[in-house]
Parts: sequence; structure tokens; C-alpha cells
Amino acid sequence: MSVATTRAAPEISLIVPVVERHGDLRRLFEEYAAELVALGRSFEAIFVVDYREREVLPELRRLQAETEHDVTLVLLGGTFGESSALTVGLERARGGIVVTAAAYFQVEPSGLGPALAALEEGADLVAGRRHPRRDTLFNRLQTGLFHRLVGALTSTRFRDVSCGFRVMRRQVAEEIQIYGGLHRFLPVLAHHRGFRAVELPLGQRSEDLATRYYGVAVYLKRLLDVLTIFFLVKFTRRPLRFFGLLGLALSSVGAGITLYLGIYRLLGLGPIAGRPLLLLGVLLMVLGIQTLSLGLIGEIIIFTHARSIRDYQIAEVIERPARESAVEAGRSG
Amino acid sequence: MSREDAGLELSVVVPVFNEAENVEPLHAELDAALAGLPGRCELIFVDDGSTDGTGERLRAICARDPRVVALRFRRNYGQTAAIQAGFDRARGRIVVTLDGDLQNDPADIARLLELVEQGYDVVSGWRKERQESALTRRLPSIVANWLIGRLTGVRLHDNGCTLKAYRREVVKRARLYSEMHRFLAPMLSLSGCRYREIEVRHRPRRFGRSKYGLSRIWKVMLDLLTIKMLLRFATHPAAWFAILGFPYATAALATTAASVYLYATATGDGFPIVVPSITVLLVFAAFHLLLVGMFAELVVRFGDFRETEPILTTVERRARA
Repeated sequence: MSVATTRAAPEISLIVPVVERHGDLRRLFEEYAAELVALGRSFEAIFVVDYREREVLPELRRLQAETEHDVTLVLLGGTFGESSALTVGLERARGGIVVTAAAYFQVEPSGLGPALAALEEGADLVAGRRHPRRDTLFNRLQTGLFHRLVGALTSTRFRDVSCGFRVMRRQVAEEIQIYGGLHRFLPVLAHHRGFRAVELPLGQRSEDLATRYYGVAVYLKRLLDVLTIFFLVKFTRRPLRFFGLLGLALSSVGAGITLYLGIYRLLGLGPIAGRPLLLLGVLLMVLGIQTLSLGLIGEIIIFTHARSIRDYQIAEVIERPARESAVEAGRSG
Repeated sequence: MSREDAGLELSVVVPVFNEAENVEPLHAELDAALAGLPGRCELIFVDDGSTDGTGERLRAICARDPRVVALRFRRNYGQTAAIQAGFDRARGRIVVTLDGDLQNDPADIARLLELVEQGYDVVSGWRKERQESALTRRLPSIVANWLIGRLTGVRLHDNGCTLKAYRREVVKRARLYSEMHRFLAPMLSLSGCRYREIEVRHRPRRFGRSKYGLSRIWKVMLDLLTIKMLLRFATHPAAWFAILGFPYATAALATTAASVYLYATATGDGFPIVVPSITVLLVFAAFHLLLVGMFAELVVRFGDFRETEPILTTVERRARA
């Protein structure tokens, strides 16, 4: 069979998704490898390369041939984005601890030591936080705004969820499904799932300093991602609470407007047919009904699948070992 | 030892959240209450993500008492999830749930069990003399219970009482999520179970503080709407949506007729748009609800509810002479 099954599993899997921006991958690998060797950990590295970035392959193949470490290259058949690249990498990972890193230097690799130590102290996921930030004011401003929004909507307090450097237990990687743009919110999702997710301040590298001006489309996408995560974290079990509140608010404003116009007309204060406000009132009521009924659909979906939903995660089961309890049962019965 | 231990008579499920001072006395009381009961039993404490040392106390209890199992959640998931976890784990012929704050009296368990033996599937406690503030706890509770009774047809005085006893078959069919523990009896009545209410003692809190306050009324209201829908139409939602849409459709017919009449009799300078815009609203609503209903039907058809429809049955056999 494949070679993968016969090799001994390493302690740590390092996953690098090469999707959009990437720097000198060889230097990246060497610095992380040096750090891991210094820590005395066995590891494997997995580069997941998006089809669009396939020009890095020759360089990576050379690296694979030259290094004595275990390096796997995965080329995606198309352009799927970072979330999918990470998922593919996580599926291949064999280590008990999974480290993900951006394809360029965001933070100092020396953060690995403290991150692994934090994992040993009971954390399930350690997310790097670029701190102190050496970014331009504009970057810091937009990051701050973004995280304030995420924090408010998901009731968490992460200050740099988008940093690609993460160290986690294998279980976290296995339990959390990331798709779309959700890789950015891995710490939030992990926290929601009941894992202990902590942030670790790490020095920001100069390679990370480019000012990021994005197009409007990118900001819009981020905003939608935030809304998705908000919905996922807060309302997946009770969709009507979200849709219902929204729908009730919309339709009561609409009903208020229409009522006002109706009274206005009945008191003979003037004609209302020519008033745009009437249209607004009708529109809001329509939207309200639509939203509310979608919420009901959501409830039906949840209910019909309730058997496959498990709403809780057990961390530990405490009981006496079976043999002991069999002996003791008679006495304390 | 198999998980489906046949010899087990009773499982007591106790959800606890930050009740460090209460678990030891509660265990002692339970021990005393259970001593008088026949058959073997197990005690399942579900620690709902406590942070005050409840877990350590539970560990100590588990080390002493082999009947006790403690499940510790990764974080706080809420009482419904805790009860469901206990249900998933329970192996007894009868399952009893009990609050972890000592406000329920374990001595009442025996009376609940008696009623289960008489053939009731769910026996719910009724805290007739609630030891809590009248304005913030008791009045809202009276209103809520009345509403739940009206809307769901399951009339209990006290849906919020955790002290309940169930036949094992009920528990194994239950699938609780979100904050359903408030509507446990109505939800379970989906499977067609016989329920009964019985007065139980309610004691003031000795340690710790209450975790539930007067808030989130809108959540309860929306949940009620859901329950109402699920109870009557879980298996044929198109009907429910059609009923919702019926008044709109009727009104739409009337306003359409009115619009036509107004249009026909309109004189020269335009005709008022008011009635047609109302028609637009009504036609839209009726049509939309109808479509949504069909869509819901589709969802249900391909969901797994029908296959596992949790209808409760009691099979009675008479041995032939």
C-alpha cells in the first residue's frame, strides 16, 4: 500500500497552505524545521498548493528531495481557497499535534516553543497573535474594527483571529469543519465547540508588514463571513430565534407605518395613495412574513434532523473502574 | 459489562452547574432516599461546565460510591443538553431527573416512581409552594405555564420543575436540543405518552445562587410558536403553512374584487393605489406561505424523522393458558 501507512506517525504535523500570498517557502520550512528540531520533536511538513500557485512546485520538489525531513506535497486540482487547502492538509496530517502556518512569515517561528507548552498546560488550540503590531496605522485600524465586530457578534475576545499560525490538538482539527472563508474563525469555532482556545502574543515579522488595501468585494466577503459565523455560533439550534426576531421587528415596523397611514386616512387628514410611505409599510410587512416563515422552515429542518444532532461535548467521564465497582457494589449498595 | 445493563431499576440524572457546596449534601440525601427503594440504581451527575470546583467534589463522590457516574461537559451547554446527556447514558428501567441545587427533595422520588408503576410514562413534579420571589419568578411562571397549556394542550401547572420521572422508553426516544427543557412534557407528548402531575416539596436555596432569571421572554415566545408548529404539523408542515396563509388568501380575494370595482368606477384622474397595494401584500403573503409549506414538506420527506418516528407503544401480552 501507500508509503504513508508504513511510516511511523510523527508528533507534529506542520501544514502550510500555499493559496494566495506566499514568500520564500524554503526559508519558511527551514526556520520552522530548525525550531522543531531544537525542541526535540519529530514532525512532518505538508504543503498544500492551490492549482493557481503551482509554479512553486519545482522549488518544493527540490526541497523535498534535499531535506532529510518528512515533506508531503499536495497539489489541489483547482482553486478552492484557503479553507479547503487547510481541510485537505488536516486530513493528511498524522501527528497528534497540528501546526498551521501561513505561507509567508507572519510571526517568529520561535513561538512554537511557548505554544506547545501552552498546549501541554491544557489549552486545546493556541492561536498566534501578532503583538506588538508593527503594521501601518491603516492596517491596525481595520484589524481592530474587524475584531471588535467579531467579538461583539460571537461574544468571544480574540484580537487576531486571522493570524495563520495555530497550534492545536488533533481532535480540534478533526471535529471542526471549516469551509468557505471559515478558516479565519477557527479559534472562535473551537471556543464555541467547547475547546479551550487561547491567544499567544508573538512578534510580528517584517515580511508581514505590507499595507493591505483590499477591494470593496473583499470587505464585503469578510462581512458576510462574520455574519455566517455569528449565525453559526448563536442560532444554529434555534433558527426561529434569529429569523423570528428579525421578521417580527420588520413586520411590526411595517404594521406601524400602515396603521398610521390608515388612521390618517380615516380621520380624513388627506389622501395617502400618493405617499411612498405606504409602499415602505407594505414592503416591510412582506419582508417580515418572508423572514418569519423561513425561520419556521429552519426549525423544521433542525427538528427532522434532531436525531443526528448531539448538542454537547463530554470532556470526561468519571467512574470507578468496572472491576472494582463490581466488587464494591455489594457493600455500599 | 454491557452498557444495556438489564438489572438496573433506576437511573437518577442530576444536571449540575456551579453547585460545589450542594453536591455533597445532595449525594447524601439521594443515598438516604434511594436506600429505601428496591432494585439497583445508578446516579448520573452531569457537570455542565462548572468552574467552581464542582468537578473535584464529584470526583471524590465517584471514588467513594460505585453507583455514581459523573459526566463533565467541555463547557457550559445548558440544562437541556445536560439532561439529554444523562438520558443518553441512563440504563435504568425508570429514569428520574432532579435539580442539582437541593431545592427538590430526593425523598419525593419514591412517590413519583409509584405513579410510573401505575402506568404513567411521564410523571412531573409540581412545586405548589414555590420558595421564590412572587413577582419575578412565580408570576411569570404561572403565565408561561398557562400559555404552554393553552397552545400545546399539555396542561401542567409547572413545566419548569426538573423533578420528573420517565419510563425508559420515553427517555430513549427523546431528542432534546437548544432550551427544550422548558417544554419537555409537550415535546414528549409528540410520542403520545401518558403524563401525570404530582405535588412535590420545594425548598429554599441553601448554597449558591440561582442561574435562571426573568429574561429572554421573546425567546420563550418564539420557542412556543415552534413547539406549537412541531406538535401539530411535524409530519405534514404544508398543512400548517396553508392554514397560516388561508386568512391572507381570503382577504386577497376580497381586496382584488374591491380593486376591480374601484378601477371600473374610477373617474378620469387616476384611481387610488391603496387597495391594490394591500392586495399585493396579501397575495404575496398567501403565495409565499403556500410555497414555503411545500418546501417544508420536502424537507420533512427527506429528513430522518419519519423513519425514526418516536411513537411510544406499550405492548401488552397475555400468556396463554
